[in-house]
Amino acid sequence: MDTVVEFRGVSKKYSDLMVLEDINLSIRQDDFMVIYGLPSSGKTVLLRLLMGLEAPDAGDIILRRENVRHMSPKIRNIGYVPQDFALIPHKTIFENIAYPLRLMKKPTREIKPVVERAASMLSIEELLDKLPTQLSGGQKQRVAVARGVVKETDIYLFDDPLAGLDFKLRERLIDDLRRLQEDMAACFFYATSDPIESLTLAASIAVLHERTICEIGDPQTIYFNPHHLSTIDILGFPRANLLDGRIIRKASEVWCQTNFLEFPIAVDAEVATVENPMDVTVAVRPESIQKILGRDEKCLTADIYLREDLGAEEIIYLNIQDSNLTMVNPSSQTGHNDVGDQISISMNTASFFVFEKDTGNRIGRGVDNFNA
Amino acid sequence: MPEIRIDRLTKRFKDVVAVDDLTFSFPEGQVTCLLGPSGCGKTTLLRMIAGLETPTSGSIYFGDVDLTQLAPRKRNIGMVFQYPVVYRGISVYKNIELPLLKRKIPQNERKQRIEEALELLNLQDQATKDSSQLDNVSRQKVSVARAISYHPDIILFDEPMTNIDANSKVQFSHFFKELSKKLNQVIVYVTHDQTEAMTLADQIALMEDGRMVQCNEPRTLYNEPEEVFGGWFLGNPGMNFIDAHCAQSGGNDSLISSFLKSPLNIATNGLDREVTIGIRPEHIKVSETAFSNAVNADVKRKSITVGGQFLFVIEVDRVEVKAKVSHPSNELMNAQSVWVEFPVEHIVLFNQNQKRVHAELTYVRK
Repeated sequence: MDTVVEFRGVSKKYSDLMVLEDINLSIRQDDFMVIYGLPSSGKTVLLRLLMGLEAPDAGDIILRRENVRHMSPKIRNIGYVPQDFALIPHKTIFENIAYPLRLMKKPTREIKPVVERAASMLSIEELLDKLPTQLSGGQKQRVAVARGVVKETDIYLFDDPLAGLDFKLRERLIDDLRRLQEDMAACFFYATSDPIESLTLAASIAVLHERTICEIGDPQTIYFNPHHLSTIDILGFPRANLLDGRIIRKASEVWCQTNFLEFPIAVDAEVATVENPMDVTVAVRPESIQKILGRDEKCLTADIYLREDLGAEEIIYLNIQDSNLTMVNPSSQTGHNDVGDQISISMNTASFFVFEKDTGNRIGRGVDNFNA
Repeated sequence: MPEIRIDRLTKRFKDVVAVDDLTFSFPEGQVTCLLGPSGCGKTTLLRMIAGLETPTSGSIYFGDVDLTQLAPRKRNIGMVFQYPVVYRGISVYKNIELPLLKRKIPQNERKQRIEEALELLNLQDQATKDSSQLDNVSRQKVSVARAISYHPDIILFDEPMTNIDANSKVQFSHFFKELSKKLNQVIVYVTHDQTEAMTLADQIALMEDGRMVQCNEPRTLYNEPEEVFGGWFLGNPGMNFIDAHCAQSGGNDSLISSFLKSPLNIATNGLDREVTIGIRPEHIKVSETAFSNAVNADVKRKSITVGGQFLFVIEVDRVEVKAKVSHPSNELMNAQSVWVEFPVEHIVLFNQNQKRVHAELTYVRK
């Protein structure tokens, strides 16, 4: 598939504050690319650069094989759905959706079918004669999406359009957006700070952290085999546990040691040498910790600080030897515990990832068949 | 301490009925969460209890005392708002003391109550700090300390975690649970967040459009929704709902759906001909190989969800359902076509009026 958007070494700063640094990214014609990052990590700036509302300080943006440096925002022909619905209060929903087409001075007879088609894709046909004040939050957001996709083009940008909506609405709109992209077969470039939203919507995810893109890949690859500390740190719900550790050598094996466990690691092939000793960060997904019933001498014990009930799962926040650990498990599996209880846990270190503390680059992962 | 009872309570704003003829009790020593989407009337109900809104009709009782016409300051209610209310420029200690001074509590007792509140909220170290130096959680804790220090009969929380970041929410929830165990008042907690309600409540009152849908202990509410709304609202994602057909043959009712391998016997009366099957995503069994009672389905999508589980969107006869799978095998991950079963013990039936019908379901023995 053809690349429609490319960022080549793009940087952006506001006076002395570097916001984006050396961004390299290419987006395919039919991609649903999610740009995922924590709040205020620069996602909106990235979208604004592409739309031409900001100019990069360094690097190039290639849009449909053309460098945009001298291309005005008007002729870039990109659909846009902002975070804030920004509907025009005194205009009907029809006119709100039609607004981008009116700006392009399209005749009304051409506008009508296009608006109606967009409205039907988002199931808001019956709202077209109403005013924005008569709509609920979720309906307004659908109108904003319809207005964003009414422009017939091949690239649509979404700036965290579901932020601030309650989670039941988000659940529905996520399904709608996914279907919309399939129907339109266009390129969606979608910014969000919600990890589950990213993992659900994306064909590919670009993780933006500390001014730069630290990893790009399809959801399964980067979730289950992350190569940068930031990826495993922020992409996942609940967030991964990060433990301080250091590398030690035991005969010919490389081991990692934290304040409450020690385990052997398989060093990645591309890592030439591992210094000894070396400070590392061990990332442990909450799902790789299990509650065990009964107790034997080998297992670790931890105190429950809080147990959250998600219905289908429980998240348990633990204190263990001055460290905090978060674990998650499908709650139907074992009996319930509550605040103050002590439980025994086991961890499968094969799902632990070890990163160099200073750079966040991956060194290796735990080996199979070793249980802590 | 007595309970709060509301009796046929109604609040109208012009044409909108915010709270619709509610009768309900809030037991003492328990946390009751009012849960529901925005606009369901939960905040209006809370504000009527506090005396910040006047009911259109109906009454509010505290034990045997009718509070309905009483001014807010005479109700002896502590309230914690979305935005922590702290007075900047004065210490944490002073912040807690202010309402006590207003109530003319003598000095000795004032001191004792403040220290009690500080200890309860683990704020002893912050007592002399200027309240403007506090982080969000501590500020919200100070508002709670103030609300409990004058020994109110009732404590109301209006979405107190809305403006607190994820990490601090864990802290706030932890201390809320510890605190609520020690207090013996009526505690009412308003939230739209189901996890918060499931985590903190002794009982959840689920609301929609000004009425109470159901009130139960959290797990009961989750497992036994009395209406379609409850099944949908709780859970992430909520329950799947599938249209099914109820047929009579030989004096027995049976349930027919393309998700069921064979019709199920239904032992109940009063079932409509067209019903809705409800089943939670985590209860659907999915396998790449055929197994007893399973039907064949197509995999439309799958995505990673909470705790690295997978959400499978699967389709039978053009009807999609979502199934949560904990540790899918490689074979299952690669399968385009799978086998699914709705275990009978997890099927919930709803009539056309969206209300649950309790019915025992069994497979027809062949």
